[in-house]
Amino acid sequence: MKRRSFLGTMVAATALAATSTASLSADWPKRPINLVVPYKAGGGTDAYARAISAAAKGVLGVPVVVVNKPGSGGLNGANAVVGARPDGYTMMMTSGGSFLLSTMTRDTKIDALDSFEFVAQVGQLRTSLMVPMNSPYQTVQDVIDAAKANPGSLRWAHSGRGGFHHVGGLGFLAQNGIEAQDVPFKGGGPTRAALIGEQADFGFLGVQQLRGFEEQLRALAVNSEDRDTIMTDVPSFGELGIPFAAVSSPVIVFAPKGTPAEVVSAMEAALAEIAAKPEFAGLLAERGTGPVYAGGSDAKAGLAAMKADAAPLVQSLTN
Amino acid sequence: MEIFPALATVITDPTLLFAIVLASAVGMVVGATPGLTASAAIAMLLPITFYMSPLFALAFLYVIGKSGRYGGSVAAILFNTPGTAASAATQIDGYPLARAGKAGKAMKVATISSVIGDLMGDVMLVVGVGFIAAIALKLGPPETFAIYFAAFVVIGSVIGKSITKGLASALLGILVAMIGLDPISSEERFTFGSFELSNGIGLVPLMIGVFVLGEVFAQLEERQKSKDAIKENVTDPEGHSLSFDEYKPCIPHAVRGGFIGAGIGVLPGLGSAIAAFISYGEGKRRARNPEQWGNGALEGVAAPEAANNAVSGPSMAPLLTLGIPGSTIGAILLGVFLIHGIQVGPTLFLTDKELVYQLFACGMLGILAYGLIGFFGATQVARLILKVPTSVLYPLIFLTAFVAAYSARGSMFDVTVMTVAGFAGWLMRKFEFNVAAFVISFVLAKGAEETFRQALLMSDGGALIFVERPIAAAFILIGLAAMGFRIRSIMKERRIAEGGHGDA
Repeated sequence: MKRRSFLGTMVAATALAATSTASLSADWPKRPINLVVPYKAGGGTDAYARAISAAAKGVLGVPVVVVNKPGSGGLNGANAVVGARPDGYTMMMTSGGSFLLSTMTRDTKIDALDSFEFVAQVGQLRTSLMVPMNSPYQTVQDVIDAAKANPGSLRWAHSGRGGFHHVGGLGFLAQNGIEAQDVPFKGGGPTRAALIGEQADFGFLGVQQLRGFEEQLRALAVNSEDRDTIMTDVPSFGELGIPFAAVSSPVIVFAPKGTPAEVVSAMEAALAEIAAKPEFAGLLAERGTGPVYAGGSDAKAGLAAMKADAAPLVQSLTN
Repeated sequence: MEIFPALATVITDPTLLFAIVLASAVGMVVGATPGLTASAAIAMLLPITFYMSPLFALAFLYVIGKSGRYGGSVAAILFNTPGTAASAATQIDGYPLARAGKAGKAMKVATISSVIGDLMGDVMLVVGVGFIAAIALKLGPPETFAIYFAAFVVIGSVIGKSITKGLASALLGILVAMIGLDPISSEERFTFGSFELSNGIGLVPLMIGVFVLGEVFAQLEERQKSKDAIKENVTDPEGHSLSFDEYKPCIPHAVRGGFIGAGIGVLPGLGSAIAAFISYGEGKRRARNPEQWGNGALEGVAAPEAANNAVSGPSMAPLLTLGIPGSTIGAILLGVFLIHGIQVGPTLFLTDKELVYQLFACGMLGILAYGLIGFFGATQVARLILKVPTSVLYPLIFLTAFVAAYSARGSMFDVTVMTVAGFAGWLMRKFEFNVAAFVISFVLAKGAEETFRQALLMSDGGALIFVERPIAAAFILIGLAAMGFRIRSIMKERRIAEGGHGDA
């Protein structure tokens, strides 16, 4: 009797062990999920991650912990996640446009389209053409005319060479056949301050940076076909009929290659639910951004299309 | 004067007062522990503050930032380990004082000076927040570079006996600062294909290596030479108390430091380490006893400590009105504002005036709290630490150096950097190169290069832009004048020294 019950326990235990191995990914998530942000705390992408973390309550059942791993233009964090265990507990949220461009311009083994699983897109950062409030330029055409009258005399500010604001600005210059000297600053905040202080004639910076500074800056156009979903007062290059390069930055969540498909789709579903929460939109609205959701395959297609658009501009950058 | 009703509100709220005292204590502990920094602590505590009221959350983190900057001086004095980059200048005189058994005295001077500097900065912030923001906007890359140029001259005051070796050390610092991504073109420089190097050399591991490991290696060598035990720290029964007569000569240095720090704080991005070094350099230049500076002068602790804390207040002005963070802590605070739905920008003082002034009031109370805790508590800590024999203390410091280098960014590569820097620091000491000049020029070089090249890109006439813009020209002139004075005083010292030889 005793032996039988012992055997029974053994069998039960083995069976339990077997099922738990098989359903390792079905149990996901059991532990907190680390969401790596390859930028410093306080930036635009970081804000998205913090909003996801705050709005994830009640959706995932475990906390989402934001881990900042800044450095090397976002490649430092990407390198850490590409080698992480693909168990669904380490993922990366990054500014897709900047990430794509840095893998194209820098010497790295990482390929933005192939080195990760695309989980979902939760937001969109767009760049825009802005001038100081006292600037003589009232429209985009004024800027183009001034640049054509005196080629190379205008100065324009952006947040760092190789970033999507810079490449977007280069695209605008190239498509309109004008020349201007760029002055790179370190990050969005300093770029905005430099433009307010009239250290440059115009600048390319995130359209959300206008929020709260409407009295200091004038946004002439957002660098896209249609208007931004949040900053709806700013006209788009598309509606103005001014040629531009379709470079923007989708905020995308990536998982390491080899993460079980069911974990990726469970996270995709969870992110869809979080992105639809009014709480998430509310947290982002304060910063002038908002939720823009797309599934993993759509996000990948969007980034692939941008790669094709940016390739000739990047070519000119690395030569 | 919106500050007075704000102060009254804060004082009558016991939970808020408790939070301020708690934050002061937390900040001091993390600041004083090598390897823990106030910015790391704030980043860790950030998620908790999502569930607090905005004022409570902001006050808690703001006070941790303030007292953490002060706490860094404790580690600098006791272990020669800068707890924060800002306290690197404090250890130049603080550590020799501790070795002479006057750690308690040094820590009390650091505490009083920090409180003076911090309060000066906060008063300037409250009085002139709008004005400060207006100045910060007018200062573009050419002006900022001119200030860096003037700051570089400070190296002259720590350069020591051999000018050639001092300049060589400074050049080495600039060279090491070049490693990583080019600030303008974003291309890799001196990385030799290594991914880790593309991130640049971190200030914290570099300083820990040069100052702490270098010192431990030097002690090891000393012990090999003389068979006796390592020189024990001297115990001085009077070393822990501080009389007013002893502090009196420090007051002008603390006040000058306060002004320098507050001025630097207006400029986003320059940071408290630079303020501390400039204040130290200026203090030494004007001191009646410059030969004592570097060997344990109390004034040499007062000058940098007042300056690095005075940065805190004014740096809030560009942060709140322009959204430019001057430090990591500033960047995180910016995030907290936004998380709580408060839009930072020029309209902040219209929309959330009350909250902002209450935050400033909390900051001032926080200064008093860490001042009291520090003045009465830090001495006790110093007493305990100095009872530990050096044969136990040095291995402990050695171990802490590794933990500190790793934990700052969680990077094993930083540990390698620290170890290499340790050997470099030891060799530099051995061959009498100037370690301080090396570190200061490392700190200054990055920003100086970036703003110099930005200014040239902006200019139509090359370097003429520095003369065309009046504020930039003024700072360049100040730098040149300081250099001239310095050269003259060196010549004078030389002549006196030669004259002395003639008599012998």
